[in-house]
Amino acid sequence: MVKQKLLVINPEGLHLRPAGVFAQEMDRFKCDITIRYKGTRVNAKSLLSILAACIKCGSEIDIECDGPDELEAINKAIELIESGFEGV
Amino acid sequence: MVRGTGVSEGIGIGFVHILKEQKPVFERHSITDVEKELEKLRNAVGSFVISTEKLAEKLKNEAGEKEADILNGHIMIMKDPVLTSEIEKLIQGGECAESAVEQICNMFISVFSARDDELTRQRAADMEDLKDRLIKHLIGADDIQLSTLPPDTILCARELTPSMTAGIDKEHIAGIITEKGGETSHCAIIARACGIPAVSGAEGIMQLVHDGQKAVIDGATGEIILSPDEETMELCREKKAQYDESVSILRSYKGKPTLNSDGEKYSVLCNVGNAEDIDKVLSGDGEGIGLFRTEFLFMDRKKSPDEQEQFEVYRTAALKMQGRPVIIRTIDIGGDKDIPYMEMDEEDNPFLGLRAVRYCMKHPDILHEQLRAILRASAFGDVKILVPMIADIGELRFVRNMTEDIKKQLSAEGKAFNENIETGVMIETPSACLISDILAKEADFFSIGTNDLIQYTMAADRGNSDVSYLYSVFKPSVLRAIKYTISSAKAAGIPVEMCGEVAADRLMTPLLISFGLDSFSVSPSSVLAIRREISLYTKEKADRIAEAVMQMSSSEEIKEYLVQNNN
Repeated sequence: MVKQKLLVINPEGLHLRPAGVFAQEMDRFKCDITIRYKGTRVNAKSLLSILAACIKCGSEIDIECDGPDELEAINKAIELIESGFEGV
Repeated sequence: MVRGTGVSEGIGIGFVHILKEQKPVFERHSITDVEKELEKLRNAVGSFVISTEKLAEKLKNEAGEKEADILNGHIMIMKDPVLTSEIEKLIQGGECAESAVEQICNMFISVFSARDDELTRQRAADMEDLKDRLIKHLIGADDIQLSTLPPDTILCARELTPSMTAGIDKEHIAGIITEKGGETSHCAIIARACGIPAVSGAEGIMQLVHDGQKAVIDGATGEIILSPDEETMELCREKKAQYDESVSILRSYKGKPTLNSDGEKYSVLCNVGNAEDIDKVLSGDGEGIGLFRTEFLFMDRKKSPDEQEQFEVYRTAALKMQGRPVIIRTIDIGGDKDIPYMEMDEEDNPFLGLRAVRYCMKHPDILHEQLRAILRASAFGDVKILVPMIADIGELRFVRNMTEDIKKQLSAEGKAFNENIETGVMIETPSACLISDILAKEADFFSIGTNDLIQYTMAADRGNSDVSYLYSVFKPSVLRAIKYTISSAKAAGIPVEMCGEVAADRLMTPLLISFGLDSFSVSPSSVLAIRREISLYTKEKADRIAEAVMQMSSSEEIKEYLVQNNN
């Protein structure tokens, strides 16, 4: 399993559009992907679960990937969150 | 007259059309052929996606890409693997598709509604919309048709779902009234993008209106006038014409740099008083935060917020501004702002007493905690420190020394911050103005706080109506104070901004341009008006006006001259 702490920097936080893009991108990977936020575990492939977690701009989250393509998955997650979803 | 919340500015005049809610009706039944029911669900999802794509395309053309994203979001939700697998699980357990959709959607609706975040609560409305439409696709019912409304329709509904709002024939809508919803509802966002006046939160309006009734709404104030008489109608028509004209002029300044007629650059920043205001800076097209009042963090609670809590708020502001300036004023309490847990002694003369930086020097722990939070946030954007109520160089040095000490601590702790963070002085006492040449040597920038500067220069309480004749920015003494402050900054080569109401006073714009002000910090709703005003002056024209004004001896004379010379 690999994990990484990340800061959500896009102004709207993980709301509808960025969360949708994130979930769609994560769904391409085979591994299990979890967001840990404020003590809860969120399925990163589910837009509705991400929305329910209500992750705002300025929040710190932990991403955990577990499975065969976990390295590719975590790199994609880091790229998306750290770029603030620019260009997507 | 009924009142709601104005959510999309403009005056709407027309005839009421009541939108009746049409919830899909189905009978819950048990199923025998699971495979057939799953097939039915897949078909409904497919036709849902296709019809939503069409609506999104229509909305993109009418309102814009961002607004269409709302409906694209519905498609994304529909494709959420968790959503579909949960619905399928219920069907496999013998539930009919309609009931399975209803149960699973309701589960998410209750989760979203329970959050204390407005944006997340809006997702409940999305899910409600999605649920009803998906069930309609399952039972083969039509979506509500809103594309054939008569001209000048004031649409009146309990609530407008995103798909309904998207489906509306915008040409024929003069205004929208809803009982539910607020400023951030999809209906409000789309109404603003299309320039349709809208009032939300008009409780009880559905019982008061009938189809075809004449109505006027004001999307700024939230006023609703039902069956107005001819005299009122005439007034409203006039107001509408004025408003429509000013909007089309101001809209052309959105997203543009702030330039005067010579092409010299200025900035129009925003004053922020709470966390919600930060988003308004972006929607109002502000070029950053010129004054971040931090008192709201300390009010309405039992103890002061700790460093981490403050840090998170400042960091969020810095991130949201995406590299644009965020000027954070250290806590300005005392005077008329009392915070019970801070144990402030009763004073005979609070405005001349232990206020702002003076309070902080007596209670350095509070300032220390705040400066640490600001410094840590400076790693995430162009954060600056602004110190209020400076009257003496020693006060500035106190804050600067503390800042340097904190930098050493943070370095030792391995915490990130901006080594070159700027510290500015608020010029709001006559003393600060008179020693502005001295302060300019040790400050990185000035910010002129006009409300207090007028009050202290004129020695007139702004709340006392008996002396209110003295409280005016057009007093020659106040204008000289502003001019001298700006010239001291210019001589020392540091930038100078103005926050407070005067920065947004269009009569003052030519004077401030002539004096050499760099940045205007105003409320988010005034950004475009001030950007436009600045664009109307050449330096030469502004100088001519300022030169004439500075010869005059009374505020009445000055104000009259400025009104005559206003564009």
